[in-house]
Amino acid sequence: MSRNVAVLAAAATPVGRLQSRAGDELQNVEHEILGRLVIQAVGEAGIDKTEVGSLVFSHPRVYTQQLYFATFMANYLKLTADAQVVEVMGNGMTGGLAFDQAMADVASGRADVALALGINMETAAPTVEHMNRTMRTTGDIDFHTPFGFTPISWYAMDATRYMHDTGAGRADLAAIAVKDRGHAALNPIAQYRQPITLEEVLAQRPIVEPLGLYEVPPRSDGAACIVLAAEEVAVKLGRPYVRIRGRGFFHEGAHQINESGGDMTAFVAAQRAAATVYEQAGAGAGDMDFAELYAPCTIVQILVAEALGLVPRGEGWRAASAGEMQLGGRIPVCTSGGCLSRGHPPYVTPLYGMVEMVEQLLGRAGRRQVEGARLGITSSELGNYNAALLHVMEAAA
Amino acid sequence: MSLEIVKVDGARPYPPRVSEFTQTFWQALADGRLITTRGVEDGRLTFPPKPFCPHSWSDRVEWVELSGRGRLYSQTVVHAAPAAFAAEAPYRVGIVDLDEGLRIATRILDDGAAPVLDGPVEIVVLAYDDGPLFAARPL
Repeated sequence: MSRNVAVLAAAATPVGRLQSRAGDELQNVEHEILGRLVIQAVGEAGIDKTEVGSLVFSHPRVYTQQLYFATFMANYLKLTADAQVVEVMGNGMTGGLAFDQAMADVASGRADVALALGINMETAAPTVEHMNRTMRTTGDIDFHTPFGFTPISWYAMDATRYMHDTGAGRADLAAIAVKDRGHAALNPIAQYRQPITLEEVLAQRPIVEPLGLYEVPPRSDGAACIVLAAEEVAVKLGRPYVRIRGRGFFHEGAHQINESGGDMTAFVAAQRAAATVYEQAGAGAGDMDFAELYAPCTIVQILVAEALGLVPRGEGWRAASAGEMQLGGRIPVCTSGGCLSRGHPPYVTPLYGMVEMVEQLLGRAGRRQVEGARLGITSSELGNYNAALLHVMEAAA
Repeated sequence: MSLEIVKVDGARPYPPRVSEFTQTFWQALADGRLITTRGVEDGRLTFPPKPFCPHSWSDRVEWVELSGRGRLYSQTVVHAAPAAFAAEAPYRVGIVDLDEGLRIATRILDDGAAPVLDGPVEIVVLAYDDGPLFAARPL
């Protein structure tokens, strides 16, 4: 059995620094933050909690004290489920996989209503200590990590190669950070909302050359809950909803680099996943009204936009500098402010992408609304886009 | 061919684990040779070395020595380093396409000037007090 899946509602907490320090007398605890969001999202969806059949959580960070968090939450919210209660984990793709699994539960008929939800708390961990852990996630710990690669060092090497191949300059990449901040200024849940100039971006201290502080993701906490349902449930409710039109996934069988070589900046996995998602959706890149992409660094946004065919290959930097990717441009990208300015709580970042898709497609994005937004695409990834997960969604009356 | 061995004071910041299988690689590296495995049936190289060919899944593999020459595919300088590498920061790392067609990632040794992409590099051995690592040096 396979049936159309709708997204009914989404709720998220403002991205920021939410995690308490170990010694703080009063602690911000994960279940209280996420529990309120679940009640808000299910309420906005207009369904009863007893209709929920599946709870798919993004796995919490290692800093979350409460283990077996999903089943703890089922009890905390007195939510029963007859499909599954599970935590999924897939590196940066984690939140995307939570959404994808909830969608699969509905499409397969195991559940009529499913929640994709999660919380990512990590900012109380000092960055240098946090990186001692994350350096082991993005590389072979025996044959890469001993040299000192960090997660974003791979993206920096994308930037170096892309600039060499295309003639793009640093300022052309940095333009993405300015654009995203402009979008975030219009997003009440964004972490950084004060507009910035190109000169300010270029003046920041280097983090991983050629990328400076404003071209790499901030440290962020966040939480979100998305309500998915069979389309017939949505139709019965009689309110606007979002219809999922297609899904594409591809893992290129490589961990950061492909030992066989090739064009690293082509983001082959995103290209392959895009072919699948566009075919399923019966729509192409040119039909997309906007895109909300998982792009932790400026360069990544350009490369994934190219891989999805939203801008021409090798020309994304020109499109960015020409304003094509900003609100009001030909194909607005990351209207939320993206990882750079909306914020990047990694395991739930893809869920924040879904929140933006829902807001845009339901016409609730306020001052950052893409006029006439009907079709959009969203992505999540892991490694150096060694795998990509894509969803195309459309507005349904 | 023998790789130049560069002495480095101190211990490796994050030493690799050595298994019964990979000890052959690390011992050869300490002796100045860069080696890896090749599938006997399909003749395909892989890196890091593996006890089977990842392409054919055959366990008939042989050790082969690499030239230690290649070209620089990309590079970056890491300024914001993990705690383990804080004492070395900033440091340059990169991706090298070896002449045999293998792409590897490693530390880059240079005089401070940004090396030219696609320029030739050679692999050298970094002989730390506690064991070897390898690195690429622009030629």
